[in-house]
Amino acid sequence: MINFIQFTMTRAVMAVFTLFIVSLIVFTLMELVPGTCAERYLAFKNTQGSGITVEDIEAEKRRLGLDRPFPVRFGSWIKNIVVDGDFGDSCILRVSINELLKERFFISLAICITALIFSYLIAIPVGIISATTKFSSIDTILKFISYLGIALPNFLVALCIMLFMTVYYGDTMTGLFSEKYQNAPWSVDRVKDFLSRAWLPIFVLGWNATAFALQTVRALILDEHGKLYVMAARARGISGMSLLWRYPAKHSLGPVINSLGFDLNRIFSALPVVALILVLTEAGALLIEALARSNDQQLAGAIIFLLTATIVFVNFITDIMLAIIDPRIRKGVMGGD
Amino acid sequence: MEISSQKKEAYFTATQFQLVRTRFFANRSAMIAGSILLFMIVISLFAGFLSPYDPTIAGRDKQYENGSPELPMFWDENGFSLRPFIHTKSKYRGADTNFRWVYKVDTEKRKYLQFFVKGWEYKYFKWSINLPGKKFDFKIPGLTFDTHLFGVDSGGIHIFGTDKAGKDLFSRTLAAIYISLAVGTLGVFISFVLSLIVGGIAGYYGGWIDGIAQMFTDAVRTIPPIPLFMCLAAFAPDTWSSEMRFFFISCLLGFISWPTLARRVRTHLLTERSQEYILAAKLCGASSTHIIIRHLLPSFTSYIIVDLVISFPYMLLSETALSFIGLGLREPVNSLGVLLQSATRADVLLNYQWYFLPVLVLITLILSFVFVGDGLRDAADPHKNK
Repeated sequence: MINFIQFTMTRAVMAVFTLFIVSLIVFTLMELVPGTCAERYLAFKNTQGSGITVEDIEAEKRRLGLDRPFPVRFGSWIKNIVVDGDFGDSCILRVSINELLKERFFISLAICITALIFSYLIAIPVGIISATTKFSSIDTILKFISYLGIALPNFLVALCIMLFMTVYYGDTMTGLFSEKYQNAPWSVDRVKDFLSRAWLPIFVLGWNATAFALQTVRALILDEHGKLYVMAARARGISGMSLLWRYPAKHSLGPVINSLGFDLNRIFSALPVVALILVLTEAGALLIEALARSNDQQLAGAIIFLLTATIVFVNFITDIMLAIIDPRIRKGVMGGD
Repeated sequence: MEISSQKKEAYFTATQFQLVRTRFFANRSAMIAGSILLFMIVISLFAGFLSPYDPTIAGRDKQYENGSPELPMFWDENGFSLRPFIHTKSKYRGADTNFRWVYKVDTEKRKYLQFFVKGWEYKYFKWSINLPGKKFDFKIPGLTFDTHLFGVDSGGIHIFGTDKAGKDLFSRTLAAIYISLAVGTLGVFISFVLSLIVGGIAGYYGGWIDGIAQMFTDAVRTIPPIPLFMCLAAFAPDTWSSEMRFFFISCLLGFISWPTLARRVRTHLLTERSQEYILAAKLCGASSTHIIIRHLLPSFTSYIIVDLVISFPYMLLSETALSFIGLGLREPVNSLGVLLQSATRADVLLNYQWYFLPVLVLITLILSFVFVGDGLRDAADPHKNK
């Protein structure tokens, strides 16, 4: 048990360290974006009619603390996030990023994680079927579908569905809420409305993830299927589904859990573009807006940091889960029995 | 008996490359995909010759904007013709069409297809670099051609239709395949060099250098690539020329995709560097560089090639996604992502579905890359005998 706590602690320290490197990368990138927040603030004022001077920019920089050296700014950025959970203000929209992201981030997260769960719910049974019917026509068809799932990026799937919807139904089915509930507070009706529309982004995001998961599961089961312990089990008279579930499937569980973090990474990666096409109003769409339209480095940095932090957290959880589930790792971690 | 021993002899004396080639040729789906891929590469190289019109705004057809695809045919009500032809169309707009321009087909007038016609000029081997300072500018004018595979005697032929400005979608698609492949190739090359450097150093020296390199690559791998990509692409100022942008985007593709490959290189080097032949080379006094280049690199060239082919479709997809949201390449450069950009508009979805033809090309291209990559991986796998 002490070993287990030790293992958890090491993993936690490693996760924090990764997060530190990531935040350093993200912050450096934010700094490299041409122009500073102060200039953006004042550019806005300029459009309002009041003239600005170089002194104004300097004063604004001092007010925002931009005249301090890089390590100090990085330190205060990190401190604000970790201690107060405060991401600062958006450069362009000039409102608190926490306020902007609060709801949107959790909606994005819910959509992505649901997509991930669905993709494995489909991929595990189908992958097993594909592996057990190796080289038959079912396997070939399933294999082709999974290839198609990789070759057709999510945003193309979204486009094709939109094409289909507009041609046959005259409604694009875009957005996360219908007009009536767009700005309404959360209620049972709003949740219902959300669910009636959320299936589309979930399907689109899950599409690639399912294809990848399918290939992983198939390859794992095939790998394990030829091994001696499976043959020994078959020799003992175990066959069919019970053989499959008790031996190869159980062994493939470890690598599947291990790949969850990267699958989530892939889904997050696809999120912004899909959000743009399906006109979703959540974190991914906000990221595109922050970058493509206005160079809002503060907001973009916050979103990327949050997405990566989620992945680091999931990786940490799966590492712990693996140590509990997989007897090989469990032995190494907890020692003895 | 004689034949089988000959076969055995051939099998055991075959080089690594011959074995891989034989296994690859035996894989039917990979071979089909490979020929499609080769076809795509060839048509993209001869894009200028094959496209009847200039893919940029210079080649626009003012008489045929948002025009539907025109496929050459051999017969209509008026009879059969050995030379393929298309019908003439005329612009029409009125109350009955809701004041939208539509094209009326005139089945009486035929436009006959001509081959090897003279048209817009395209260049090969044109190369110019414009560095700061006059001294470093140099230009190779290249060769200019103006012959095209096909065209019609009068008016235009647009087999994929035209876009909003009247640009020929077929010509644009061909140009886009070339640009997308070029971006991918450059990106793959950059990521290859980077991964060799990082993975090579980590794998060859091991120890704490390896530890730090691993920590860093793992951290980079945790950041979702496309958002990171978008962040980096946002640096490119709008004032950059399209060539500059093209180069910048390719570099970004390379910079983002190296960690996976670097990891593979490292793992391979770690297992390989403790082999006896490396020890022998070391005892002979060979330098580290010499050992890496002459002994270690050849030992895993085939794996590297396979990995490069496998990473290619992801390069293409990233480029497409980036250009699609407007952060990657932009017009007048045609890439598959740029072509898809205009396809999201509602009126396009409803009225001009041929904007989606480049999507089919993109899917074919990526599928063939995936199949070829898989075939190569299977063929290069030494555990898969025969």
